[in-house]
Amino acid sequence: MSDPIVAAYKSTPLKAQVERYSPVPLAPAPSVGRRLVLSFAPPLILGILIVAAYALIRADLPAHRQFLMPSAEGLWSQAFGIAAFRSELLMRALTTISIAITGLAVSIPVGIMLGIVMFRVYALEKAVFPYLVALQSIPIMAIIPLIQSALGFGFLPKVLIVALFTFFAIPTTLLLGLKSVDRNILELFKLQNASWWVMLRKAALPSAAPTLFAGLRISGSLAVIAAIVSELFFLSGKGGLGQLLMNAKIDFKYEQMYAALIVASALSITVYLSFNWLGNRLFAHWHESSDRQR
Amino acid sequence: MTGSPTVNAADIGARPHPPLPGGNAVVFEKVSMTFPDGTEALSDVDLAIGHGEFVSIVGPSGCGKSTLLRIASGLSSHSSGDVWVDRQQLGYTFQDATLLPWRRVQGNVELLMELRGYPAAKRREIAKEKIELVGLSGFEAHFPRRLSGGMRMRASLARSLALNPNVFMFDEPFGALDEITRERLNDEVIDLHCREGFTGIFVTHSIPEAVYMSSKVVVMSRRPGRIIDTLDIGFPFPRQPDLRYEPEFSKLCGAVSRALRHAIEA
Ligand SMILES: Nc1ncnc2c1ncn2[C@@H]1O[C@H](COP(=O)(O)OP(=O)(O)OP(=O)(O)O)[C@@H](O)[C@H]1O
Ligand SMILES: [Mg+2]
Repeated sequence: MSDPIVAAYKSTPLKAQVERYSPVPLAPAPSVGRRLVLSFAPPLILGILIVAAYALIRADLPAHRQFLMPSAEGLWSQAFGIAAFRSELLMRALTTISIAITGLAVSIPVGIMLGIVMFRVYALEKAVFPYLVALQSIPIMAIIPLIQSALGFGFLPKVLIVALFTFFAIPTTLLLGLKSVDRNILELFKLQNASWWVMLRKAALPSAAPTLFAGLRISGSLAVIAAIVSELFFLSGKGGLGQLLMNAKIDFKYEQMYAALIVASALSITVYLSFNWLGNRLFAHWHESSDRQR
Repeated sequence: MTGSPTVNAADIGARPHPPLPGGNAVVFEKVSMTFPDGTEALSDVDLAIGHGEFVSIVGPSGCGKSTLLRIASGLSSHSSGDVWVDRQQLGYTFQDATLLPWRRVQGNVELLMELRGYPAAKRREIAKEKIELVGLSGFEAHFPRRLSGGMRMRASLARSLALNPNVFMFDEPFGALDEITRERLNDEVIDLHCREGFTGIFVTHSIPEAVYMSSKVVVMSRRPGRIIDTLDIGFPFPRQPDLRYEPEFSKLCGAVSRALRHAIEA
């Protein structure tokens, strides 16, 4: 500050010019209330609009077709308002979610192992990848009867169907993440003569984790759908929401069908949000994309 | 090495290194490098760097400076010629800081020691010392994304210093920094060089930086890179920041600049 040259420099009218090009101050961070409004208001408004559109379309339907779109009162008096149905709904939701979670418990570890093996052995990646894509493009619905014939009507075939539905995203996203690990980081490890395992554990896997989580989110929300789809073909035994959907259709209980749909999508959203939450907890502090600042 | 907690070579499985020709830390003899695609990056490079020297390498872009460092560090192989490098405790910094984004500063500084199998207590002790040395105390718990570019580079330096390198290679480490930060880090590296006594090989595009930091400036030709000139820089260490404004300093910069121009035209 006391430097005479600097002092002389500062006293010239240049100062005003310099200031003109100084950085603009940053806008203050939005308050908590504002952030809450920003994150909840848009989906809430869209939701209200959708319900309004539903009501308008329903009002337009001829009376004998209105059963296709039950009203709120109908949903209550025919479905959610009935205690016995509520507990049935709960039991079936539990069945569905346990099928979904068991399926994920199969597909996630197997998928992760396959991803790592493909990363390690390039020839295997080349060999396996086309079949992964093929598996993804087979309409799994179409092979459900086959699975049924082979494995029967128990818990296992449903779990297998969920695993098949949710498998694809796991090895593919993991492999993508593993392959995009910073080359310089790998060289850093190489300079210390680190083994492949050490590189995998300390460099490639941590750096691939956020990408893998993007895959897990997709698989997670597919799992509930898969669990429901798996049951559309299994009408005997104590099933989950999928069976309820089919039974309700057969019995023309459209209110119950809608109730099952609502619970199913609530489950899907819950699974998606839990993976989202877990991913944010694990990666927000270091990964660029996981917490979006506004 | 001054006052650092020492680690027994036997503890971490390091082998004693046979002495290099002429007691040097790095020797290149007629080293050539041709990439598999036919790109000839280096041709007949002869280079000898004595223990405790600080040598800068300047040359046109794409002339093979990084290739030379990569061969010296053992990251790449060469096609012909002989290379001797004392690589027992090698320090290497890349053009960017190359920190692991999922590790805090502390974890990043400990990384290389972890890979070398240092015990945890020793790692913490050394990391604390090196973080202090580069002026990052108080930022141990920060993740790299919350550090400035200069601070990341310091963390990267601390990470390499933790192994107490006796040969330290820098591949254009400060190219992305603003001038003030760059000059400060120049001083810090020179200061560390004087205190820790490592041999430095420093690739840079900046002539003043090369002259300011080195005991010797090596000028390379266009690709395929050869060494076409070597200038000894006689200023004593440690260097004062105002050295940059001495007429003698400008004269040396001019000499390097002319050698470089010659390198580009040759
Ligand atoms: N893996 C590779 N395969 C083929 N050619 C390569 C490879 N790596 C580098 N080269 C070529 O070798 C030459 C020297 O590259 P190098 O990276 O050593 O240059 P450099 O002097 O470090 O340049 P800069 O100052 O721009 O960093 C360049 O022409 C480059 O295109
Ligand atoms: Mg380079």
